[in-house]
Amino acid sequence: MILSKLAGRPFLLAIGLLVALILPWFVYPPVAMDILCWALFAAAVDLLLGFTGLLSFGHAAFWGGSAYVTGLIALHSGLPFPVAVLGGALFAAVLAVPIGFLSVRLRGIYFAMVTLAFAQMVYFIANQWRDVTGGENGLQGIPKELFGLDLSDPFFFYYAGLPFILAGLLVAWRIVRSPFGRVLMSIRDNPARARALGYSIDRYKLLAFVLSAALSGLAGGVFTIGHGFASLQGVYWTTSGQAVMMVVLGGIGTLWGGTIGAALVVQLHDYLATAGFEETGIITGTIFILVVLLFRRGVWGTARDLIAARQARGRPAPEPDQPKIGATV
Amino acid sequence: MRLLGRSAAVAAAGALLAGCAGGPGGGGGAISDDKVVLAVLTDQSGVYADLSGKNAVEAVKMAVADFKAKYGDKAVTENIEVIGADHQNKPEVANSKAQELYDRQQADLILDVPTSSAALAVANVAKTKKKIFIDVGAATTELTGKQCNKYTFHYGYNSYMLAHGTGTALTKDGAKNWYLVYPDYAFGQDMEKTFQASIEAAGGKVVKSDPTPFPNDNFSTFLLKAPDLDPKPQVLGALQAGGDLVNLVKQYNEYKLRDKGVNLAVGLMFLTDIHSLGPDAMAGTRFTDFWYWNADENNRAWADKFHAKTGTRPTAVHAADYSAALQYLEAVQRGGTDKADDVVAQLEGHKVDDIFTATGTIRAEDHLLTHDAYLAEVKPSSEVKEPWDYEKIVSTIPAAEAFQQPDPACKL
Repeated sequence: MILSKLAGRPFLLAIGLLVALILPWFVYPPVAMDILCWALFAAAVDLLLGFTGLLSFGHAAFWGGSAYVTGLIALHSGLPFPVAVLGGALFAAVLAVPIGFLSVRLRGIYFAMVTLAFAQMVYFIANQWRDVTGGENGLQGIPKELFGLDLSDPFFFYYAGLPFILAGLLVAWRIVRSPFGRVLMSIRDNPARARALGYSIDRYKLLAFVLSAALSGLAGGVFTIGHGFASLQGVYWTTSGQAVMMVVLGGIGTLWGGTIGAALVVQLHDYLATAGFEETGIITGTIFILVVLLFRRGVWGTARDLIAARQARGRPAPEPDQPKIGATV
Repeated sequence: MRLLGRSAAVAAAGALLAGCAGGPGGGGGAISDDKVVLAVLTDQSGVYADLSGKNAVEAVKMAVADFKAKYGDKAVTENIEVIGADHQNKPEVANSKAQELYDRQQADLILDVPTSSAALAVANVAKTKKKIFIDVGAATTELTGKQCNKYTFHYGYNSYMLAHGTGTALTKDGAKNWYLVYPDYAFGQDMEKTFQASIEAAGGKVVKSDPTPFPNDNFSTFLLKAPDLDPKPQVLGALQAGGDLVNLVKQYNEYKLRDKGVNLAVGLMFLTDIHSLGPDAMAGTRFTDFWYWNADENNRAWADKFHAKTGTRPTAVHAADYSAALQYLEAVQRGGTDKADDVVAQLEGHKVDDIFTATGTIRAEDHLLTHDAYLAEVKPSSEVKEPWDYEKIVSTIPAAEAFQQPDPACKL
């Protein structure tokens, strides 16, 4: 009984916060920073995929687009980095309006393809517009300016970047818990009924798309400042794919699952870089297939179901099998 | 939980290492952590894995062995480690790994790093950490231009050397009219600019210059119109690299452009590219190379040793990696310390004479190694006498002409 009480939401949240606070002691700080940024990016993608039922394959445009804008602001204005990061996030949100407007009417694979096409356009522009983006060489030497503080040590920058990521995750969590979030889920589960109830579902989807893009942009901006450069890799389609993969690994529609997916993927990449294997792609691919086959609901989704099952066993009378809100699609 | 477990182990190991370093090692202080660590950060799984990759690590190990054999007991340290890391051609992985190599693995030198964006990212890390970085595999001139820094060196080749060498040599050889096709991104654009300038300076003319999409698998639009341009170009300059180049060359052969009087010159090509296409597909193609394993007895002797270890022949990049590692160790030996600033002082202006080049100079102004380059031609298979024997050296481009003048934008 005590255990089941402890497993409640505040307890998990406290553990999560604690892990976020002590992470750079256990994980190499730049890698820890990457985990944070990808965690927020994955949460943003999950907001669309898990809660609105839209699989975007073009979020690299927002992550990478914001990376360039953040980098440009930081390089040329000398403003403190939070301004640059927020500027990047704002740019991502603005960019998402026309893209979202033209794509949210579509569903499923068509939506994925159209968002992918837009992201490729952004990639093309970033590649061609060399005077601004540096083309293939990227923007290099982006400063970490914060009122003269020296943040060049990645350990300290982790704590400077952490509030942005936590704020982003909080926003994502609030969106999911809000009445607005409930409408999104109803659109996901039954768009016809949501429309019949009087909700303008395209506008809801568009707003969800823009919010998701803004959060992706926030993550991309912090990532850029952390690394000190913005590159074409950020707007390349594999970046979109990686975020979707993290969500699937962690569990679609769980929001926190993406964090676990991000931790797994980033750590794995980091480990494989010095492990001495040649075919890193085969190893990540195998792990991905195994997780999808063994944990249908992702790592976090499966763990949550197990906890729920344990709690149900401890109770005197079994509850009727209700569909859980926010369960995987 | 597993995650935490592994991380805790890493942290513990890190603490242990740090403890060791602070302990008995603090004695002389000439060699940090009592060892010299050479880190080869390269592409072990992607498009550059063949021309650099794990064999680059072997080449560096050969340099360490030769260094130890040469100095024996007199070596400044017995303890030289070589570690390899894979950046997967992603600049962010290169960036994190470079920091980790310098900080946690006590790397004194990072080597190799193909892919321009990754190389520039590592150069910035080297600058902040004040540790030495010698790039071998990247083509961008920015490493020794606008984005140069005191701790970064560029070894082997760059886009200027490739374009200038081939453009000048062939134009002087009588190819007055050129048709250039270049991939439309930073590398291709830089190459095209240098090609144009070099061809015109040598008295030739670029009839037409077309950007092609990147990546691209169909070049027929560009190839078909080549013989009909006015005036008719004698040479098609293909500035593509890797997979694009392979596609272009295959189509060039299908359309039999050589029979129609349009010869092929290539911007960037490695031994491994010829190997994968087969020499007949490339026979007669001219390009600039900066080292060839079968060019003379010395190169061949080294290539034999390389072959014994790896089962394959070295590319020019492998030889440059070997030389860069060796010259670094020699600099440490001369200065008696691996402190980065002292090593930089030893390297600047140093004349390099080893199996990679006998005419090398590490320019003090911008840290570019200048050396002789070669105009090479691919042999037809009838002249190939043994596996990997694909090139013949047509002429030598002296070091003074092979590379660009120091960029005034570079302030070390």
